[in-house]
Amino acid sequence: MSGTINKTELERRAINYDFAAPVTSTASIAETIVVGFGDGSVRFFQAGHEPRLIQAHEGVVLCMAVNQSYIFTGGDDGKFLRISLSGDVEEIANFGSRWVDCVAATSEAYACSSDRATHVWSGKGSKASVLEHNSTVGGLSFDSKGKRLAVAHYGGVTVWEPNERRWKSKKLIWKGFHSSVTFSPDDKYIITIMQENALHGWRIRDKADLAMAGYPAKIKSFDWVGETPYLATSGADAAICWPFDRKDGPLGRAPVCVADGEKQLSTYVCSLSQENAVFAGFKNGEVLLAEIDESKDSIVLKNATNREITAISLTKSLSHILIGDEGGHVLWAALWAGALNDQFI
Amino acid sequence: MLNSTQVPVTVLTGFLGAGKTTLLNRILTERHGKKYAVIVNEFGEEGIDNDLVVDADEEVFEMNNGCICCTVRGDLIRILSGLMKRADQLDAIIVETTGLADPAPVAQTFFVDQDVADRTKLDAIVTVADAVHLEGQLGEHHEAEEQVAFADVVLLNKTDLIEGHSLGLIENRIRKINPYAKIIKTAHCAAPLDEIVGLNAFSLERVLEVEPDFLESDHDHDHDDDITSVSYVSDTPLDLDKFQTWFGEILQTKGQDILRSKGILDFDGQDDRYVFQGVHMLMDGSPMGPWPAGKKRNSRVVFIGRGVENMGLKEGFESCRAF
Repeated sequence: MSGTINKTELERRAINYDFAAPVTSTASIAETIVVGFGDGSVRFFQAGHEPRLIQAHEGVVLCMAVNQSYIFTGGDDGKFLRISLSGDVEEIANFGSRWVDCVAATSEAYACSSDRATHVWSGKGSKASVLEHNSTVGGLSFDSKGKRLAVAHYGGVTVWEPNERRWKSKKLIWKGFHSSVTFSPDDKYIITIMQENALHGWRIRDKADLAMAGYPAKIKSFDWVGETPYLATSGADAAICWPFDRKDGPLGRAPVCVADGEKQLSTYVCSLSQENAVFAGFKNGEVLLAEIDESKDSIVLKNATNREITAISLTKSLSHILIGDEGGHVLWAALWAGALNDQFI
Repeated sequence: MLNSTQVPVTVLTGFLGAGKTTLLNRILTERHGKKYAVIVNEFGEEGIDNDLVVDADEEVFEMNNGCICCTVRGDLIRILSGLMKRADQLDAIIVETTGLADPAPVAQTFFVDQDVADRTKLDAIVTVADAVHLEGQLGEHHEAEEQVAFADVVLLNKTDLIEGHSLGLIENRIRKINPYAKIIKTAHCAAPLDEIVGLNAFSLERVLEVEPDFLESDHDHDHDDDITSVSYVSDTPLDLDKFQTWFGEILQTKGQDILRSKGILDFDGQDDRYVFQGVHMLMDGSPMGPWPAGKKRNSRVVFIGRGVENMGLKEGFESCRAF
């Protein structure tokens, strides 16, 4: 694919917006990319349309998750909201002065956390199950079947599984605070981002620990890439990609480092799975695209602006890319050269 | 970086009933034209309701980095990171801590977490003390001593309820624990806000401005675990290597008991003053420009902590002399 995209082309065919409030979160449903902002607004981006503004929260949109039909957001106004693609906003829960820090969703269930409690709505009932933890929740993630829910917190992860009418839990222990959490695509591993500059993982079957340390900075973002699969992460002067193939995954293996930022710290990563490639956004606003291989080649998609990249998202058909930064700037562009120009009618 | 300016964070500590809530209400309601966010504790007093008030649990996390005393406030990392995503810029953030909380993890959070350090800075630790009850609290709770020891400012409140002689005694008691703190005497926490917020007390420049009494003090101690302070002066220039080795070792081995340390140093062969300050094992220091003309060059250090007079600090400091 080299040659099909270069920086001048993507930037030249892009539409740039300045929304003034920091971009805090992003997700995509089909051909819509959803972006959350620091002023409580949520915007929908679709090819051929002006961005659509949804006034969702009164404060910061702290977190976002999607399933096939809805966007779920949590805010520092204490609200947990469900937003439909037609823009209808429904308040699922309101925790007042307590923030909604984490959200997760599948087609069958959705969950949010506020302080130490995780609230899960599943099945037909509208009543939430409340799962208590010993510390503030740092991250939530459902497995690929939408059955088990991993809750990251101080001291490790609690994996919850519905059992008849109750929830049973299993603890994965590792000292320190764990924030964002993810299941591997085959549901065999659980990985967390730690407060320390490290990732931690467990093979669920035998609770074997995977300590992935050595990062120079805090990891803020990760994403699963490709068939192998790799877990691409930010937090270094490149995208650090850990292999999860073979029997033991990354145990005893070195990660592949791609998208060399030349001493700039990567702050956001986004998978381009079909090409076994990763988009890496940097603290200086630069965005690179690199295949996960030993060639070390990367393409500059966006030049430095001195504003930290806080969001990169693709439409499901990979027709469009959205890049957001801490200054509230959004770049929206057709991903491939030669694609129809994105003109408003 | 989008914001080159870091938002100052004031840590407000003091025992229940000392007047923290009165002060917080003033900060939130007075027409000062500033935008302050206040992070309150769930065990705090009632009566604060405002959009910019954030409820927090005091969650102290040990860092998994092999440093036993390296604890941080996990909730603060989460909340400060969230506040930095707001569309509007805050002028300052005030963090209330409960009377029984050790202020160290709060202070350490600003040294340890890079995101917090990038976007915010610890401005000052302000301890609200009840002039009537402080003496008793110092005797009963070591937390009260620690709060005074950590403070950059002691807001000595309810002075209208105490007579002049007793007030003098309580001031002396505070001085003995912490000669560096600025004492503001008030009734009803009516001190000007600009003496409490936006002090820049943790900047190295401020170390130069605040001149404590570097007395060759004659301490009298009842217990070895009392919190107190020691200060030493050397007119002979210090050897840089010797000092670094000694100071590094002191912080590593005694850092848990040394709450605050500050100093202005004259290194042999260096034109600039070297200024440092530390909280427990964490230290920040750098050269701070040439010595002012006409001012005598010497090295001065202050240690505030538990049992600091028995750590051999005097001998250690003197052994760093260049000749």
